[in-house]
Amino acid sequence: MAKFVLQRLAMVPAVLWAVATLVFFMIKLIPGDPARVAAGRNATIEQVEAMQEKLGLTKPLFEQYFSFLSQTAQGDLGTSIFTFRPVLVDLMQVLPSSIELVFAAMLINLLIAIPLGIVTALVRGSVTDVVLRLLTLIGATVPVFWLGLVLQYLLGAKLKIFPISGQKPSGTQIERVTGMTTIDAFISGDFILFSQTLRYIALPAFVLSLAFIAVSARTLRSGMINVLDSDYVQLARAKGVSKIRMVSKHALRNAILPTFTILGMQVGWMLGSTVLVESIFGRQGIGSYATTAVLQKDIFAVISVVLVMGVVVTLLNLLVDIGQKIIDPRLRVSGG
Amino acid sequence: MTQDLESVEVSVSNLDQKNSNIGSIRRITKSLSLGEKVIFLLIFAILLGAVFGKYLAPYDPYFVNLKDSLLPPSSQHWFGTDVNGRDLLSRILVGASSSLLSTLAVIMFAALVGTFFGTLSALGPRWVDETIMRVSDVALAFPALILSLGFAAALGPSLRSAVIALALTWWPGYARLVRTFVLEVKHREYVDAAKVLGVSRRRLIFKHILPNALVNLYVQITIDVSAVLLVISGLSFIGIGAQAPSAEWGALVADGRNYILTGWWTVMIPGAAICVTGILFNLAGDALRVINDPTLVRKGEK
Repeated sequence: MAKFVLQRLAMVPAVLWAVATLVFFMIKLIPGDPARVAAGRNATIEQVEAMQEKLGLTKPLFEQYFSFLSQTAQGDLGTSIFTFRPVLVDLMQVLPSSIELVFAAMLINLLIAIPLGIVTALVRGSVTDVVLRLLTLIGATVPVFWLGLVLQYLLGAKLKIFPISGQKPSGTQIERVTGMTTIDAFISGDFILFSQTLRYIALPAFVLSLAFIAVSARTLRSGMINVLDSDYVQLARAKGVSKIRMVSKHALRNAILPTFTILGMQVGWMLGSTVLVESIFGRQGIGSYATTAVLQKDIFAVISVVLVMGVVVTLLNLLVDIGQKIIDPRLRVSGG
Repeated sequence: MTQDLESVEVSVSNLDQKNSNIGSIRRITKSLSLGEKVIFLLIFAILLGAVFGKYLAPYDPYFVNLKDSLLPPSSQHWFGTDVNGRDLLSRILVGASSSLLSTLAVIMFAALVGTFFGTLSALGPRWVDETIMRVSDVALAFPALILSLGFAAALGPSLRSAVIALALTWWPGYARLVRTFVLEVKHREYVDAAKVLGVSRRRLIFKHILPNALVNLYVQITIDVSAVLLVISGLSFIGIGAQAPSAEWGALVADGRNYILTGWWTVMIPGAAICVTGILFNLAGDALRVINDPTLVRKGEK
């Protein structure tokens, strides 16, 4: 087990290097003078020249590459031409809020997908097939930004079930501890405020989750069907094990494994989709930071978002791999 | 002697043609149900709209007329007008060419490059295979939206940038798929037979392996239309794809988002266009898959 973790950990620098190289390639794609882009629209000639110096554009390419790598490794992602602060500081400020949203979306995903996967595996027939097929189609074809606007209009503006946008009621103050509004509200001990922040996060989280529910449910379902048809479950059934026990003890435990991999990938995709969801619901986060940066033509900030998301996704994959080993004893023995 | 071999080879390639599940168009249409025929007709209509949209548009899609701002759908303007008084139906028709043709361009590029690298990966030496697969690992771990966001931002916001960015992002998926298909076909008997007959390597790849490996690719291409369309329109929505006054569907949703309270149609209808197109292509892909693999019908979806 320890050997496996070490092996996987050893892979991480290689992947991070690949991500950084990709990002360097992106910067090299910028047509014209990247220093002008990095310095901003209203920069003076001196500022542009200073930026040229800082980016090392006068140096040979491979030297630029290595200084880029060392700067990036030290967490220097440049300064935003919009907020005038280091991009990394900006991103760390808003990242918790995105993590909170993705976590909530994942929770909704699981709360719907697990029962759906189980039921559709047990009741195999036309009705459940239609439900799953419909959900799959919706997940694959409905633009998440459009869904956000439509639900905001219907459930927020028209029916007033959910607040339209923001993270907490206007005028309220929540002391920043973790940077996650709901958690901070919980820590503050004001439970009315906490429940209000939950209402704020519910709709964007649901919008974010919808595209993924069908995929998770289908993966769980096919895992369940494989297990339910297997010999040992048949034996358990023959021995008269109750249906509930059969599902919870025998089938679900084994079927959850392939689903786990999918869920890990989904976290990365959800984080990517925050770019489309957060700005609609007026939420702070790495996604809305990216959209603002796009509008401000803050190209280096946009590219930094790519880099940070790449790092997060890499670390997530690592966690999923290790987590899977911990859950599945078979992998622990055969894998090494 | 060589002539003999040639004729044997012809019969071998006839054999794999027979074995393969390449369907002629007639065979495909014959095995479609009525509903599926309707789906393919609608897709055909949408593609026609994408190509000839600007001739079909009842009004000038770019003509600003503030007098007619935010008119609800009526017999005059079927889909209403936007805040600048532009006819939404005309804009959707013109936008279809931006949205769909750029989507198709991305997929064609990704499929071609993916086929090249996938074949190389499957048939080339070990280190080539390893390199290509590791590169695709990194690319596939990234959310496509984010990776293309970075490329498009670097290239400067425009629909063209979005297309290039997405093409750069999308090919590794095809490379993997094609690699799997080629590896599977590589060991079929007729390939071995052709090899024994001394068929040149190039002929072997292009005549015997690729045609049979790629028959399943068009299912993926059909289904990918909705996925790529979602990313393209998403990039346009956040302002890094198509720029004003373009009528790309995602840009149309972005245009309407501030007026949703007074003119819901400006958001609802372009988004619905994306959904409907995606649903049609998805259903078509499912139909094609069933034709390719008739066992799916009996097993049902697992």
